Amino acid sequence: MEKSLNPLIFSVGDFIAVVNQTFEYAYPIVQIEGEVASFKVNQGKYVFFDLKDSEGSINCFMTVWQLRVPIEDGMKVIISATPKITQWGKFSLTVKSIRPSGEGAIKKSFEVLKAKLEAEGLFAPERKRLLPQIPQRIAVISSTQAAGYADFIKILNDRWGGVGVNVAHVQVQGEGAPDQIIRAINYFNQQELLPEVLVIIRGGGSADDLATFNDEPLVRAIAGSRIPTLVGVGHEVDITLADLVADVRAATPSNAAQILVPDKAESIRLIRYQLSSLLPKILQLIDQKKQSIGGMINQIISTIEDAIDDQSRTVASLKSVLSQLNPNVVLARGYAIVRGLQAVGETIEVETSENIMKAEVKDVVKK
Amino acid sequence: MSSKNKTISEKTTDLTKLVEWFDGEDFSLEEALDKYKEAEKLATEIEQDLKSLKNDIQIVKQKFDTEN
Repeated sequence: MEKSLNPLIFSVGDFIAVVNQTFEYAYPIVQIEGEVASFKVNQGKYVFFDLKDSEGSINCFMTVWQLRVPIEDGMKVIISATPKITQWGKFSLTVKSIRPSGEGAIKKSFEVLKAKLEAEGLFAPERKRLLPQIPQRIAVISSTQAAGYADFIKILNDRWGGVGVNVAHVQVQGEGAPDQIIRAINYFNQQELLPEVLVIIRGGGSADDLATFNDEPLVRAIAGSRIPTLVGVGHEVDITLADLVADVRAATPSNAAQILVPDKAESIRLIRYQLSSLLPKILQLIDQKKQSIGGMINQIISTIEDAIDDQSRTVASLKSVLSQLNPNVVLARGYAIVRGLQAVGETIEVETSENIMKAEVKDVVKK
Repeated sequence: MSSKNKTISEKTTDLTKLVEWFDGEDFSLEEALDKYKEAEKLATEIEQDLKSLKNDIQIVKQKFDTEN
């Protein structure tokens, strides 16, 4: 009896192990909200900081690869972590994930990451690719249960037909969402026949809900997509880093569908208009041809008339010359024609315009 | 070439080319009527396609909640 009351004696290592097992059983994962202090990264791999509030402070540890958003001292955060006592007896939290909490911290984290990615040129206009005018195969990443997805599909179906749409159903908010979306991006980028456009959509939500789309690895995955990207997240006023890095940003999921395909009713109107303009065009061209031919005929007639005028003038001129050569005209001017041998004693004939006379030659003198 | 197996996009491109032909240097009145009939037929096909074709929406079977 007395023996059974003896307290159990642990070795130090065993006791630490037992305490850690107790923690693991009682708090396999715990979420704590607090303010970051003494934030530092050692050897580029290990992250240490204190999580504190007015009542106390706890040491926290995590790896740099688990940091999805920029964290700074003074920032209010929510961590998911497992409690642990180190072999040196120091209590600490091993952090699995950390995210800014509250509007101020979310905004601060957003601005820091935005500046970093902007400096890297990820949002540069020259990086932006054009989307195909009417895509035949598109990939959509969204939650198929979300209202934003339903809006997108409705508008897409209303506007256009014949598009092959492959949809990856993912979580679009919460801790696991960024990794799910990244896996879906990778999945589509590894397809043998790549989709022509990668559409990432999510309806409206709080700043915390939309924080998924400000996750650094997700933003980098969108930037690295081989497939041109169209991102429509939240409402018109919500701008996430995923929006900024996308090739094309849509204000809402419905707007994404409007950007993606034309409106078939509008297209039918345009086709009818184009066709209706062709027949008048043909008739107008026939009229132009007629006018052109009429002009050519007039030209030919004018040329012939000019040639006739030329000939008439030439004939009139010749007639004038001929009339001057007519002997009667010469006689009328007072001249006379003398016929016969011009020798003394010979009889000659003299013709004037009015008479023909016989005369004897009395004398001949050489000029 | 038959347009039966072409997509709406390809047919629309063909129609646009036909319409552009009427303003181009190759235009001839002799061919205009045949081209117009061709454009009219293509436009009717596109309209019918637009009214009847549905989008084919498939949900990918792959799960993305864990690494595969």
